[in-house]
Parts: sequence; structure tokens; C-alpha cells
Amino acid sequence: MPTRVHPLLGAFAALVFLFLLAPLVIIVGASLSDTTYLTFPPQGLSLRWFANIFQIEAFRRTAITSLQVAFLGTALSLLIGVPAAYALNRYRVELPRWLSTLFVLPILVPEIVFGFSLLKSITIGSGLPVFPSLILGHALLVLPYSVRVVGASLASFDFSIEEAAMSLGCPPLRTFLTVVLPNIQAGVIAAFILAFITSINDVSVSVFLTGPGISTLPIQILAHMEQFFDPTIASVSVLLMLVTVGVMAIIEATLGLTFLTK
Amino acid sequence: MTKLAKWGLPLPATIAVVVLLIIPVALTIATTFGEAKGAFSTYAAFFNSGFRRAVLFRTLEVALITTALSLVIGFVTAYVIAQMPGRLKSIMIIAAVFPLLTGVVVRSFAWLIILGKNGIVNDTLMSIGLITEPLSMLYTEGSVIVAMVYLFVPLMILTLTGVLEGIPRDLTEASASLGAKPIPTFLQVILPLATPGLIVGAVLVFTGSFTSYATPQLLGGEKQMMMGTFLYQRAMVTFDWVGASTVAAIMVVITIAIVSIMSRIARRLNPMAV
Amino acid sequence: MKAARFIQMATVISLATLGGAATASAQSKTFTISWWGYNGEKMNANIIEPFKKICDCNIVFETGNNADRLNKLKLRDGKGVDVIYLSDSFSQQGIEQGMFKEIDQSKIPNLKEIYELGRAPQGKYGPAYTIGRVGLVYDSAKVNPPITSWNDLWRPDLKSAVSLPGITTTAGPMAVIQAGKHAGVDPYADTEKTFKAVEALKSNVVKNYNTGSELVNLISTGEVRVAMAQDFTLASMQAAVKTMTWAKLKEGDIATVNTINISKGSENVDLAYKFIDFILSKDVQQKEAEQGVDAPINTKVQLTPDQAKIWTYGAEQVGSLSLISYSKMNAAKTEWIDQWNEVFGK
Repeated sequence: MPTRVHPLLGAFAALVFLFLLAPLVIIVGASLSDTTYLTFPPQGLSLRWFANIFQIEAFRRTAITSLQVAFLGTALSLLIGVPAAYALNRYRVELPRWLSTLFVLPILVPEIVFGFSLLKSITIGSGLPVFPSLILGHALLVLPYSVRVVGASLASFDFSIEEAAMSLGCPPLRTFLTVVLPNIQAGVIAAFILAFITSINDVSVSVFLTGPGISTLPIQILAHMEQFFDPTIASVSVLLMLVTVGVMAIIEATLGLTFLTK
Repeated sequence: MTKLAKWGLPLPATIAVVVLLIIPVALTIATTFGEAKGAFSTYAAFFNSGFRRAVLFRTLEVALITTALSLVIGFVTAYVIAQMPGRLKSIMIIAAVFPLLTGVVVRSFAWLIILGKNGIVNDTLMSIGLITEPLSMLYTEGSVIVAMVYLFVPLMILTLTGVLEGIPRDLTEASASLGAKPIPTFLQVILPLATPGLIVGAVLVFTGSFTSYATPQLLGGEKQMMMGTFLYQRAMVTFDWVGASTVAAIMVVITIAIVSIMSRIARRLNPMAV
Repeated sequence: MKAARFIQMATVISLATLGGAATASAQSKTFTISWWGYNGEKMNANIIEPFKKICDCNIVFETGNNADRLNKLKLRDGKGVDVIYLSDSFSQQGIEQGMFKEIDQSKIPNLKEIYELGRAPQGKYGPAYTIGRVGLVYDSAKVNPPITSWNDLWRPDLKSAVSLPGITTTAGPMAVIQAGKHAGVDPYADTEKTFKAVEALKSNVVKNYNTGSELVNLISTGEVRVAMAQDFTLASMQAAVKTMTWAKLKEGDIATVNTINISKGSENVDLAYKFIDFILSKDVQQKEAEQGVDAPINTKVQLTPDQAKIWTYGAEQVGSLSLISYSKMNAAKTEWIDQWNEVFGK
């Protein structure tokens, strides 16, 4: 049941969206330009920089790796992060305070130092292959989102509802899935989105964890840009937005777009 | 049962952080104490340099301003979004995420087009006669902050919308029906309940902006060097990992201090905040 | 610490068995090349596929920029790759860190066909496989009189018009060397006077760039009119601003080379020699040059004037260039970075 929003607040939000979306107009424009350099307004319209993404084999290959890593890494981080977030809120009084700080550490340590240390002591120390270490590194990198963003949603959850369900004989896991989870759904989805995007854009950690035969899309894009200064990079950004819109359209058609919210 | 859940549920994530992050990073940072000139010599060298202190203070300043601006902008926007009907709400959330999908190089190109000497802002201001000479807006602390706020407002919106949604509407309505004006309702009901979200957002934005290096480098240049760029130079250009780890250790200590101050403030506003 | 180490290993091993099954185990004969990763299609057609027929092996790449790959090679103690492509200042760092094998020139017959300058640019280590220049570019429509000397960088009419390569890029330290020459001192010996000259440049500098794409953006948006640049960026700058011109400097340009080295831990040394010999051969160099990938260093490559115009090409041009002393430069680099930060950071 929406309530009325003060016009001043509404106007402020509109300005914020203008601020957020205006640079995107420039990026979309630049991606369509028929020039070998980034320019705005675009000079001549062309889709060749989009075609370029699909024609270069290294982009296709690394895009698949990036998607796999982002998906598995995010899933792994939610799998271990959500239970931690739950415990931190459910047993807030009993658990030590430093525990919640612990889960911010992965974004608190500068990424290249994290990547360097991980490569030095884990991958090389134990001979772990490149692909699993990439996934582990990404899962840890995005863990703060899984724990803290979900945790923020749990903070306003009324745990007495859960107790009521359990006292009526509902087993704990089922209680969590049917009573707790629907109430923090927006938080879990926000965490997933933030984690996924962080993982798919990551350069600093991936730089160290990729190895012979395995690379990720952002690193491949940087490699391309060592030599070419064309709008391919803008096209990649636009393509990511289009994919997002596409995924949303599918969700809209199947589940209804209100899934993001309660 | 409770005891098992209490300690068992956070265990996998705790082990992951300890094994994959704390031990490896501690081993790296331990190298900074092994210098021949004494255990803390690299740290003394850092703080003895006026230039490095200036970089540290600038980084703190930029990160704090970015955090404050992102908090206010993100909170108000998330509040408005949370009031919207379901479908529009989802569309707005998706739109807010779009800036995060752009790479840093194209994003800074867009700012070049907007804030540059021949950019849109300067052109507009000149054509309406407000200025006669183009303003130098790029490569200032301001341009770095604008670009960082741009990147962190979406994160704040995403974090806070979920939290504001969770505040039971009947609570605010009850407060209003009891005759409370909007501002007291906001201060006494909404703000305390949103505090956990605000603090999580603030922590994520502060740590993110404090450690960033690509945005300050592209939009600030050398005049606005920040700790992340400085660390990057040490690690990836001179291969001086002891120096880089020193910078990292200083950054970690400062961030932990700031994060715990933030948590303390949050607990004062709302004792339930983690 | 022991317990921690144990937990660490146990976790890693259990996770490895879970996730590691997905990655195939190494083949018996795999040749690993570390290089940048751009122009993959042409590299594949011109070099990789033909070489596979020679070596009868699998070829795997590690990609990334100079610093990333050299850092990783060092962390692995010189193992994991067989040959590594690097730009000159980074290969010098790799040499100083003991990451490469010394080269036995008799195993690379094609060395005799390449320019003298490229055969052993860094002592007993890997040869250069391509050559380029660092010089000045300027917008001839807006900069008058034209740029004819490195000293023109200090001209008062170029206030807020210049971009230099950042000190941490390949060409960055060369800006310092030119500043030393401008001040009439040896930059390695008299850091103080050298950086006085760098400081005198500050009011002319809008922003220093860290990547080629950043430079092209600065030029195309009109933020910058004069830059110190590497030749391979010229074509893109001219596409954006037609009047961008490569300055004819009376002191001449500075040479830069990209090298290829055999890593210390290579397990396929014979193949590595064969590979290096192959990429220096006339046929490969000819194809790479014709397709705009790399400037040729093999003296037998023949290009039409049109093909040659984007490259440093021909005995006369190559002869006019000189290499800088990488070992001296790397020794000074840490100090220079600090000084540079102080000058431009204020």
C-alpha cells in the first residue's frame, strides 16, 4: 500500500536518477559511434563495436568464464554468508561483536594485496588449480555483501514470528525457508545483485588468480585496450545493461516484476 | 540445539575469512616488520614523509565526504523508491543498478564529456552567459568525489531499499495517527529502524572509496593521488611488496578504527544495530 | 600457527577436490606463452597455428599487462610459463629479479637477420621482436610554431596544453631523462636539477596519462594539444583529431622495444628457442607488419610506403634511434617516482 511522497522528496529523487542515468546516455552514444575512438555525440551510427565483441574469440571465452565465476562465487558466498547473517542477528547479544567486523574484512583489505596474498599462500602454497581458486577468491571478495546487506534486512525482522512457527512444530530449516526468507527476500536479492556485479567487474583480485589458459572478461578488455582505443569498451557496458533488461523482461513475463520487493 | 546453531551457522563463513583472507594477508603484512632497520622502520618512513601524510589525509577526506553524500542521497532516494507501487519500484531499482554495469574507463570518459573544458556543463554555462572562460572542473578533489558518489549511491539505494521495505508500515501510520508530525515520525521511528541499513551502507561505501584507485587516478590525476593509487604504484610498478604491504596495513588499521566508530554511533541511535 | 596452517590446507584440499575435477589435468607437452592478449585472432593465424605444426604441442596463454604477468611469474618463482613477452623496462626488472634464463644466441639463427639494436638489448637475455619510438605529438592546427625540439615542451604558450606519460608507465621515466637533458645535467647523477626542470613543466601539464586509451580520450575531447607518446597511439589520435602530427625533433626520438625471454622455470627450453626463432623469422615479421600488429625488426621485411607509415621502419629510421640504459633507469626509478609524486602531487 503506497503512501504519498512529499513533492520535494520526489523531485530530489528525480534529480538523483538524472545524475545516475545521464552519463549512461553518453556511454550508449559512444558505443554506437562509427569511429575508432570514443566520442560523443556519436559520429555516424554503427553496430560494429557490438559485433566486435562477438567476433573476438577471447571475449566470448572469457565472458563465459566470468559468468561462471560470478555465479558460482556469489552462490557460494550466499551459502555461507546468509547463515552467518542469520546467526549474527538472531543471537546478537550472545555472539561477540568483532564477528560482524570480521565479515567486512574482504572489502576492507585493499584488493590487490588480498589477491597477491591469496595467490602466494593458497594457490602456490597448495597447488590449487586456477579455476577453483578464482571462485574461492571471488566468493570471499563478495562475502561482505552476503553477510552485511542480508544482515541489515534481518535487523528489522521480528524473530518472534519465527519462534511462533517453531513452537507450532515447524522444523527449523522449513521455518527459515517459509517464514524468515520471504521476509528478507529484498535483502537477499540486493546482496545477490551487488555481489554478482562486483564479481563480474573485478580486476584487482582476478589479476592474480587467473593463470595460464584462464582469464576473465574485464582482464581481456584491459588487454584489448592496451592496443586499441575503440568504443568496444562502451559496447560491453551497454551489452551488460541490455542483458540485465532482458533478464528482467523474462522475470516480468514469468514471475512478475514485483519479485524484487516483498 | 540453540548453541549448535549459534556457533555452527557462522562457522563456515568464519573459517573462509580466516583461512583465505586473514592468514594470507597477515603473512604478507608480517613481511613489513622484517626490515633490517627495525620492525617499524617502514611505517616511520611513511609517516615521516609530508607527501605521504597528505595523501593519507586527502584519502580520508574524500572517503568521508563521499560516504556522507552517498548516505544522504541514497537514503532519500531509497525512501522514495520504497513508497512506490511494486512494479515501478522494481524498475527504479534496476535503473539505479545500471551505473555499476559500466567499466571505469568508459565511465570516466563520460565524465570527461560532462565536466571537461569543452564539456556539456561548461558549454551550457557559457551559452547562458554565466561564465566567459571554461571552468576547470576535472582533476580536482570535486571531480573525484562526484565520480565516486556516482558509483556508491546505487549501492546505498540497493542496501537501504531492502531495509526501508522491512519497516512495518503500520508503525509509521500508527505514529502519524497518534498525531505525530512527519519530522518527529521520521526521527523517532524511521531513522532508528533504518540505522542498521545506514551503517552497513556507510561501512561499504567508506571502505570502497577509501581503497579505490582507478577512479581517483582517472579523474583526479597525480594532483589528487589517493592511498589506493600509491599502493598500486608500489606493488605493480616498482614491485616493492614490502612498501605496498605497509600502505595496506595502515589502510586496514584506519578503516577498522573508522568502522568501529561508525558502529558505536549506530548503537547509540539504535541498540539493535549490529 | 601450525593448527592454522593445517586448517588452511584441509579446507583448500577439500575444496580443491570439489572444484578441481572441472579443470583438466595438464597435457604431456604444453607450451605456455605469457603475453598481453590483444589481437588474439592475428596472433593465432600468424604465429600459433603455424608454430603448432612445427612443435607438435599444445599452446596455452597467460594474458595480462606487463606488471600483472611479471608479478605472477615472480610469485611462482619463474615457473608456469615458458616464454614471456614484455616491454623493455619490465623485462629489465625481470632480469634483475633473476626470472629469466640467459640466451644462447647460437640457438636462434634468425638473430642475424634482425637489427643490431634488437639482438641483445639487455645483456645476455632475450632479444627484441619489435621496435617503436617515443616522441612528441601535437595538434598542428592549434600549436604554432610547430614542435621541433624536446625543449619546446617548456614553451610558455603551451600552458595547460600538455600531457606526459605518468612516471609509472613505460615512457614515463623518459620524460625525466628529457628534463635532465633540458637542464643540461645527467638525470641519474643530478636528481635535484632534473626535477627542477620537471617542476618547470608543471604549469604546462593538464594531466598525465597512464594508458594509451586515456591519452586518446584527452586528445579527442580537446583537453590536451601536445603529448609525449609512443608511436602506436598516433593512428588513433589522428582518427580523432586529423591535425595531430608526429613532431620531427632535432634531437631525435627515443627507441622502445618489446622483448621475449625464456623464463627461469621453463620446462620446454628447446621449444622456447624454436619459438623465439620463429617469431623473428622474415615470414612471420612480414605478416605481422602487413596486418598492423607489430613493427618489424627483421631487416629483410619489405613494406610499401603506405604500410610502413605507421611503423618505425627501415635502416635509416632505426639507425637514428637510441636505447636508454634500462638498468640505470630502473635503479633510479623508485627515487624518481617519489620525486615525481612530490612535483605533480602538490
